[in-house]
Amino acid sequence: MKDKMLDFYGKRKIFFGISIGIIVIGIICNIIFGVSLDIQFSGGSMISYSYNGSVDENEMKSIIQEKTPDDKVTFTVAKSIASNNADGDGYTLTVQFSGTDTVDTQVQSDILQSLQEKFPDNNFETSEFTSVDATMGLKFFVKCIVAVAIACALMVVYVTIRFKRIGGVSAGMFGLVALFHDMVMVYVVFVIFRMPIDSNFIAVILMILGYSLNDTIVMYDRIRENKAKMGPKASIIDVYNLSMTQCIKRTVMTSITTLAAITSVYVVCIVYNITSIQSFALPMIIGLISGCYSSICIATPLWVIWQLRKKNKEAAK
Amino acid sequence: MKRVAKPVFFIVALLIIALTASSILGFDTQFGDIKTTRIKGIDDIRWGIDIKGGVEATFRPADGVDATPEQLESARSVIETRLVSSSITDYELYADDSSQRIIVRFPWKEDTTNYDPNEAIEEIAATAKLTFRPGNSYTTVDYDADGNPIMKTPKDETEEILLDGSMITKAEPNVYDDNGKIQYVVSLEFNDEGTEKFKEATTTYLNQTISIWMDDVMLSYPNVNEVISEGKAQISGSFTAEEATALATKINAGALPFSLETVNVSSISPTLGQNSLYAMGIAAIIALCFITVFMIIAFRIPGLVAVIALAGQMSIIIIAVSGYFPVFNSFTMTLPGIAGMILSIGTGVDANILTAERIREELKRGKSLDSAINAGTKNSLSAIIDGNMTIIIVAVILILVFGPFNMLSFIFGLSTTGAIYAFGYTLLIGTIANFIMGIGAARLMLKSISGLKLLRNPRLYGGAKNER
Repeated sequence: MKDKMLDFYGKRKIFFGISIGIIVIGIICNIIFGVSLDIQFSGGSMISYSYNGSVDENEMKSIIQEKTPDDKVTFTVAKSIASNNADGDGYTLTVQFSGTDTVDTQVQSDILQSLQEKFPDNNFETSEFTSVDATMGLKFFVKCIVAVAIACALMVVYVTIRFKRIGGVSAGMFGLVALFHDMVMVYVVFVIFRMPIDSNFIAVILMILGYSLNDTIVMYDRIRENKAKMGPKASIIDVYNLSMTQCIKRTVMTSITTLAAITSVYVVCIVYNITSIQSFALPMIIGLISGCYSSICIATPLWVIWQLRKKNKEAAK
Repeated sequence: MKRVAKPVFFIVALLIIALTASSILGFDTQFGDIKTTRIKGIDDIRWGIDIKGGVEATFRPADGVDATPEQLESARSVIETRLVSSSITDYELYADDSSQRIIVRFPWKEDTTNYDPNEAIEEIAATAKLTFRPGNSYTTVDYDADGNPIMKTPKDETEEILLDGSMITKAEPNVYDDNGKIQYVVSLEFNDEGTEKFKEATTTYLNQTISIWMDDVMLSYPNVNEVISEGKAQISGSFTAEEATALATKINAGALPFSLETVNVSSISPTLGQNSLYAMGIAAIIALCFITVFMIIAFRIPGLVAVIALAGQMSIIIIAVSGYFPVFNSFTMTLPGIAGMILSIGTGVDANILTAERIREELKRGKSLDSAINAGTKNSLSAIIDGNMTIIIVAVILILVFGPFNMLSFIFGLSTTGAIYAFGYTLLIGTIANFIMGIGAARLMLKSISGLKLLRNPRLYGGAKNER
């Protein structure tokens, strides 16, 4: 049986175009909306209260503002199914303090007390309270980035050594390009959905780091194997097209399973309105798709282009 | 192909099923009222406060005071004493000298009704009050996690205060040689006021007991053997080296020249935590059911083998987190820890799919079942190993940077960001487990099950229809 072969290389410009397009949209959104660092990294304070039944929101806000005269405070009220009870529908009130200073725990207690006094029937409770010192938050963020950079560098070294037969360094570098591509995609999701960059962002980036490279390596492995099988005379484009054709089914299968797992997390969290995990699962879904896409459509075709150029140069000599 | 004996499949599969069941369910024995955990299950896992709810707080010496490492350690021991005395056993507590921070994480107590982080933090970080009192009467007794008694609340004669911590200048553990017997003691030094008061006290209570208290908790109740007038005293007793150090550290805390201020706080109510844990549980069940059905339909026999191997991989991660045997402590599982678990299971699925696809390819080329399995497992190996090795690199770097080794501490100072450490830990364990289960056990099972006559139809392995 003759192996059939799809022409992936011929469509490379479409692939690159799609990626560049999405990145450009991301940059435009970034310029229009900007991006915010979560208080975990920028420093600052946030309090969430849960309560039941309806409350005069303006009155509620003025009580809080009264207790924090120096601060401009932003409020968000969201419905939360999980805390529904006999006293009425459950709501979550999130109070974000401006500025990057920490808020005294006393302020937090005072606010809760006055809310409970004013609205005794609405079961006001603190559900979340975060207050972070700006210098510590930023240090942690930078540390994460440095760790990611070290991991990336070591992985390039590993790929360079293991894939020496198919031009190690270039394979490693284009694997890294694919990795950047996927991280940018995750970032774009945070920008477009206007989610602040928080620890979930770091967790998703770390996961994509492993997943994307694993996927790229599967492709490189097939190219390495086919190149050895087909001999030095075979055209690199053919080697690439054949390798991708052989891998595409595995990629689809793996993507379906991982995506199904993460999507089920996402859907369940929408049902239960757990925003902290939603903002983890959604960028993850995009990251997984991007991770698979970038292996076939970014890293390897770039590698082919590079190899062709190298060959041309050698021929010209 | 080297055939693997037929029963091997059943042995490996049964072992994995037993491992999975025990690691999830755990095993208790009940003898009368006493329940003893023999094997820890999923319920015994210690959940991080991002899941279970609780308080995380960072303290530093107030007013820019530069504390010595000993002082910081004393401040830490105050918090520890208070956590233990209020029956919070499940805490994490670190003192970091280079950044002058004390970090504490603890879950809400089960019977707490008022989840006020402010109250909880003030309770544990208030300046310690160290007192010397006559006698050793107390009102109530609690027990800590190791079953040691904690005597609380002064009563009767102990309500009187003889002297307090501000009058102590130094407390340190000492060791001396008592006729060839090593004795550990705690040496105390008093200031002028303390020397005077201590002389009075030892005169009044000669040959009686004086007890030392931190806040509401009795630390020690030595006997007065002589009148001490030089302002230097020794507490002896059958201390071990650790006990002497711990007591000295706690006594020092009563004389700390600074109070603690709160830098960071974050608290999550347990209802919020319970909800997300419950939701994650449901999502996990849905995802696992889908993967099981999908793998078996798509890949038949190799799919079934993959599902068993994945169960094995998952149970190894659960075991590494829960500790499995009661002697091992549970690792603290956070949301990023769960993410690491998902990623390693994802690569486990991928490894099995790679192999199954390769076998299918070989069958389509017209190879016999045995040689197809042989070639398929062999060809997919390099991709799986390279992929997993890079993930191990990521995991190891994260563990080194964010774990107890603190690799970059010379740039960023020591810090304890347990969340990302947990990601590295579950990812590393999960990937190693993938080598054992997804590569080792799965291949063994595959080569064994393919020897069964009933299951020798290549179609069961994804082979083409026209093949007979």
